Amino acid sequence: MDNNQDSIFTRWIIGILRNRKAITGVVIIFLFIFLAALGPFITQDPTAFLSTPLSPPSWEHWLGTNGQGQDVLAQTISGARQTLLVGFTTGIMVVLIGALIGGISGYYSGRIDDFLSLLINVFLVMPGLPLMVILASWLPPGPATLTGVLVLTGWAWNARVIRSQMMTFRSRDFVSAAIVSGEHNIRIIVLEIMPRMLSLLASSFIGASIYAIGAQVGLEFLGLGDVSTVTWGTNLYWASNDMALLTGSWWNFVPTGLSIAIVSFALTLINFGIDEVTNPRLIAERVWREKIPIDTVVNGITPVVKDHE
Amino acid sequence: MNNSVISIQNLCVNYITPGDPVKAVNDVSFEIQQGEIFGLVGESGSGKSTVVQAVLRTLPPPAVITGGKVIINNKDILSISNTEVLQYRWKQISIVMQSALNALNPVLTVREQIEDVLKEHSDLKGKAAEDRTKELLSLIDIDVSRLDSYPHQLSGGMRQRVVIAIALALMPPLIIMDEPTTALDVIVEREILAKIIELRKELGFTILFITHDLNLLLEFADRVAIMKNGRLVELDKAQKIRSGGKHDYTQKLIRSLPSASGPREKGLLPKPKSLVLGDQPILEVQNLSKSFYDSGIFNPRSIDVVNNVSFQVFPGEIIGLVGESGSGKSTIAKLITRLIRPTSGDIFLKGSNLKISEARRVPLEYRKQVQMVFQDPFGSLNSVHTVYHHLARPLLRHQLIPEQKLFDYINEMLETVGLRPGTTFAEKFPHEMSGGERQRVAIARALSLSPDLIIADEPTSMLDVSIRMEILEIFARMRIEKNLTIVFITHDLASARYLADRIIVLQHGSIVEEGIAEDLIQSPKEEYTKQLIKAASPGWLKSLSFNNTKEKDVNHV
Repeated sequence: MDNNQDSIFTRWIIGILRNRKAITGVVIIFLFIFLAALGPFITQDPTAFLSTPLSPPSWEHWLGTNGQGQDVLAQTISGARQTLLVGFTTGIMVVLIGALIGGISGYYSGRIDDFLSLLINVFLVMPGLPLMVILASWLPPGPATLTGVLVLTGWAWNARVIRSQMMTFRSRDFVSAAIVSGEHNIRIIVLEIMPRMLSLLASSFIGASIYAIGAQVGLEFLGLGDVSTVTWGTNLYWASNDMALLTGSWWNFVPTGLSIAIVSFALTLINFGIDEVTNPRLIAERVWREKIPIDTVVNGITPVVKDHE
Repeated sequence: MNNSVISIQNLCVNYITPGDPVKAVNDVSFEIQQGEIFGLVGESGSGKSTVVQAVLRTLPPPAVITGGKVIINNKDILSISNTEVLQYRWKQISIVMQSALNALNPVLTVREQIEDVLKEHSDLKGKAAEDRTKELLSLIDIDVSRLDSYPHQLSGGMRQRVVIAIALALMPPLIIMDEPTTALDVIVEREILAKIIELRKELGFTILFITHDLNLLLEFADRVAIMKNGRLVELDKAQKIRSGGKHDYTQKLIRSLPSASGPREKGLLPKPKSLVLGDQPILEVQNLSKSFYDSGIFNPRSIDVVNNVSFQVFPGEIIGLVGESGSGKSTIAKLITRLIRPTSGDIFLKGSNLKISEARRVPLEYRKQVQMVFQDPFGSLNSVHTVYHHLARPLLRHQLIPEQKLFDYINEMLETVGLRPGTTFAEKFPHEMSGGERQRVAIARALSLSPDLIIADEPTSMLDVSIRMEILEIFARMRIEKNLTIVFITHDLASARYLADRIIVLQHGSIVEEGIAEDLIQSPKEEYTKQLIKAASPGWLKSLSFNNTKEKDVNHV
């Protein structure tokens, strides 16, 4: 490659910025974060009673009003704030806890691993959804509760994946070489192994965030969140309470539903992008598919392209 | 004269990359005559395997054949239709791959795998197919009772024999053997080769033999072609190549082949007379044992990998631990460097100063004194860090060099191992260097702490033949310059002979024989050592196949 001199991270970042899927995803996510941050300054008050309930989109209220006569556009934009905050916080915490517990478990093996694996397995076999519902209804509602519940029910799978990855790295020669040179175990994990797992950590973060946004909206839709706050989940909860579907007032739930779908879609795009940039197989495949005539490619037989140079 | 089995004309194969395509095979032409053994030799990356895979057309993209002809039976394989390609595979050409474990399907028995080929490509069915399968097994000297064994129940040598049987199933005129014995131990390797030669005499097929080991090829090939960087640099009769060859590269290859028997040729720096070994051992290993436990619930068992091994190493000495895979030699390396803990026994460094086998936590001082060089230079360097990082971390950890002098010191270390200019190499990442350069970095890292003892675990076996001697040379030089003690672990008796002062031969985790290197080579006492030496010496094939034919005659009578 032309930028052979750069470290692997620089190449990845450049690659992701050049990757069409990833950059689309990144732009969409930043757009949502930007809107959410500016929300209160550019829209009407999302909780104020402004107009006739359930009035369709108009110049005054671009996306109409809901059952309480609140502006749907304002609700959608400010709903993004807590939803995305809780989603990404959960994503970060799931990866951090997963890396910590899975990493230690995979690196040290032996009794430490026995204990931590047991812990991970216990959390894996616990039915997540009922636990989530029970905890969320029992604890005082609020974003902190939601984050806590989501992290508690979501960390184990990531820890499991990171543990397996750590175990394969643990037996590699470069780790042995670091041990022989007297390096501290913690330094080996953080300085030598974690950088090698970066693409796994990044896609774990994205996967966990998608999960967190979905689960959070689900809980709130069931009325298990704080229904007095404005989030995408409570938006849907109220829309359902006001029987938006029956009354045919689609503008009540479509904007929020679409936002959730677009954010998940964008995150998935980023995930695809990371995979394409960091997975050498996909890189190679993308390159040759551009350069070899498609009709010469047959599974299992080397193509012959005589005039290719 | 047109009795050529295959004729390759101006073959070109490219690998497509984001930049310019890599010309893996560049304008290669040769013909193989009926009944001959044609050897194709080259180092990794020379394109030798790409040639055969292109002939079979089994290479997936990004490989593309960009030119030339491959003529078999007056047909150009490169211009026939895809269905025809499938027909000529195995009927006209079959292939024996390097790793039998990968070539065989782990969930099918030997019988199923052979009959599968017969079913797909011939009319043999039922009893006839079974008879043919049994016939094939007897050809390769495997008992018929093994028919219903799975691959994992067979030894490495037997597995490779089964793969050969599958290749012979349809009696194709040409059999390609792509490094068929590289994954095997020397003695097994020799047996398999003798079997191949014998079968060829009996059945008269033609062999295209691919290997990186010129020495091996010269034993039995009729003609030898040498490839380098995708081009054919030399093609000649084996005798002519043996006597030197014309091309520089051929000569370099020939020179880089030490022999395990006969008088010692001049090569590596020998131990200088002025170097006097200390009389107190620097490393003493006493009754060392290591067992691995398979703590399965249903079938718990323990495997003794190292079994009651004792030896001493004196300051300034290079000791060679020689053994085949499974001899426990790498486990001993890991025990001495305390990457794993021994089951029983003691390891003393410098007398009884550090009885480290008992300590749970290895003292930092020990880590400074004992360093290790690993087999795979790519695996032992971390791809996300620069060379500088690899050398700086240990130095910072042990605080040997003040930080402001670090850069100069690392530069100096790199130049010591032949990486000049050191400042350029310090900034490189592992993927920007060749295998030999990477191994030099690994050696520099081990040397940088000024250790007393270096454990080198097969430091050259992943490297190309032509640079192996250069790497061994560094060890020989460092021993003299830095008064290092080196434990050199290898499967290759010949290279141990050239580097080590003393050799310890290991088998199944125990010491078989121990002695001064030259004495041990010239007058081995144990049968196993004799076999090893014979297998690593020129002319082994003649003695071996001669024995076989003799046995056969006896059987016939």
